[in-house]
This record gives sequence, structure tokens and C-alpha cells, in this order.
Amino acid sequence: MSPVNETATEFERNARVVLERSLSRIDARTRSRLNQARQAALEAVSRRHPLWLRGTTLMPATGAVTAALLLAVVLWHREPAGVEMPLPEAQGSSMEDIDLLADSEALDLLEGWDGPFYEWAASQTDAIGESNG
Amino acid sequence: MPAALHGDVELTDPEEKTRSRALNQFLAGVELKAFKMAQAALRNEDDALDAVQDAMLQLARAYANRPAEEWKPLFYRILENRIRDMQRRRTVRGRVFAWLPYRGEDDEEEPDLIAQARSPDPQPVRRLELDEAVGALEKALGALPPRQQQAFLLRTLEGLDVAETAAAMGCSEGSVKTHYFRAVQALRAQLGDLYV
Repeated sequence: MSPVNETATEFERNARVVLERSLSRIDARTRSRLNQARQAALEAVSRRHPLWLRGTTLMPATGAVTAALLLAVVLWHREPAGVEMPLPEAQGSSMEDIDLLADSEALDLLEGWDGPFYEWAASQTDAIGESNG
Repeated sequence: MPAALHGDVELTDPEEKTRSRALNQFLAGVELKAFKMAQAALRNEDDALDAVQDAMLQLARAYANRPAEEWKPLFYRILENRIRDMQRRRTVRGRVFAWLPYRGEDDEEEPDLIAQARSPDPQPVRRLELDEAVGALEKALGALPPRQQQAFLLRTLEGLDVAETAAAMGCSEGSVKTHYFRAVQALRAQLGDLYV
């Protein structure tokens, strides 16, 4: 080792002592703020993995339960294959009502409904039919 | 109520708890040194605190799951990037507000009266010598080029080896050796045998 390096090592050793001394001079306010920064960083880690996602060891079990529930729901609502269920009359009319309610144009027409006019027009048609017949 | 400790953060997974504890221990171990390095580079306490806080957050968010052995070079790399960003912003700000009267370093270099006050320490002379040495070294470090300053502090204060310092500085090991050697030469030229 050259004398330069030996000197540098000695210098390093002394510099380290001085730098460590400088750390001990850091005031309480700064130390407190550094501590707060550290806690914020640790909280960021826990936020990054939400509680419900954090239990990675439970994930396979959670997945299996979810899959089983999903399968049960599908089977529950599944109709028998190849059998066309007849639609009862009442159910059919209620479905039409739903179609009408869902149809925005039909609702628009309903808003502009002129009852007396259509009743008068219908009575006129009936009267013409009777006179012709 | 005091700030939540790592143990207060609700963690159900034991592995996660262990990692959080390890990260807490790591950050607690580097925070003072990191602050000193940031302070030497930025010459402003608040900026240094911001830089360290950002580095802690980024390490926790992006690299908490990496092996703990990698944390130190990663942390100092992040810190260095943050310091550079702040220096760049400060340069731009300095150009924009160059017409304003400058007050900063003169204020920062006012003597610390509390630190200089008499101490009941059994070795007050030794302490005084060290405090004087701290002031002189900090001043000399402040005059170093940023890369030399960084190489010197990472090697001497943090105790990183050449390879780790190279990883933290994002340069080759040869560059680290060069920066470090020049830093030591410059400091010795300024401080002489102050420490011997």
C-alpha cells in the first residue's frame, strides 16, 4: 500500500469519527420529523396492500369459495336444457308492460296523449261503419 | 397520541409484519445519515428533510418487496435523484428570482449557540475539538463537487463498499474510486491534519 493510501485511511477513520459526531448533533425537531417521515413511508406500504388483499396465504381458499358460490348461483338460475318453458299469459303481459315502460319513445307518446280526441275519432269511425253497414 | 409505530399498522400477514419491521429498522438506521448527506448537498434543512422523506416513501412504495440487502443502494440512489431534482429546480428558481436579494447560506452558517454552549460532559475539550472539526468538515464538504461529496459520504459515513457506492451513484466502480480519491485529496488539502 502506498503512503498516500495509508494517509487516506487514517484520514478516513478520523473523518468518520467527526461525521458520526455530526449525526449526534442533529436536533430533536429534525429527528422527530424524520421519524414521522419513516412512519408515513411504512403506512404507504400497508396502504399499498389493502387489508382484504394482504392475506396472500388466504387467497387460494378465498378463490375456491368464490368459485363455489359462483357455480351455485349459475346452477340455481340455469333452465333445463332443450325444454322451452311456455310463457304464462299473465307473465307475457307483464313482460309487454316492461317493454313499454322501458321504451322511451312510448313514454314520449304517452306524455302527448290527447284522450278526448282519440275517443272522438274512434266514435266517428264507429258511426261511419254503422251507417255503411 | 404519538405517531403510529410500525407495530400499530394493522397487518394480518406475519410475513408482511416481518417485512414492515425490517423496513422500519432499515429506515431508522439510515435516516440520520441520509439527512446529513442531503443537507450537505442541498445546504438547507427543510429541503433535506423533504428529500429524505420522498426517498423513504418511494423506497417503501416501489421496493419494499425487494430483498432487504438491496434496500441501501436503492435508497441512496433514489435520494440522489431527488437531490438532483431539487438542485435543478433550485437553479431554475434562482434564475427566475435572481433579481431578489439573496439570503440563505449566510443565515444557515450562523453559529449554533446551543451547540457551542458549555457542556457538563467529562471531556469537554475533546467534544469542543470534535464540534470544531464537524463545522470545518461540513464546510469543506460543501465546497466539493456533488459527485465527490456523494462518493465521500457514501463511503465514509454510510460505509458502503465501492460496488454498493457505484450502484447508489449509478456509475462505474472506477468512477467511484476516482471521485472518492479526489474528494479525500481536496478535503486533506483544506483541512490538513485537523483529525490526526
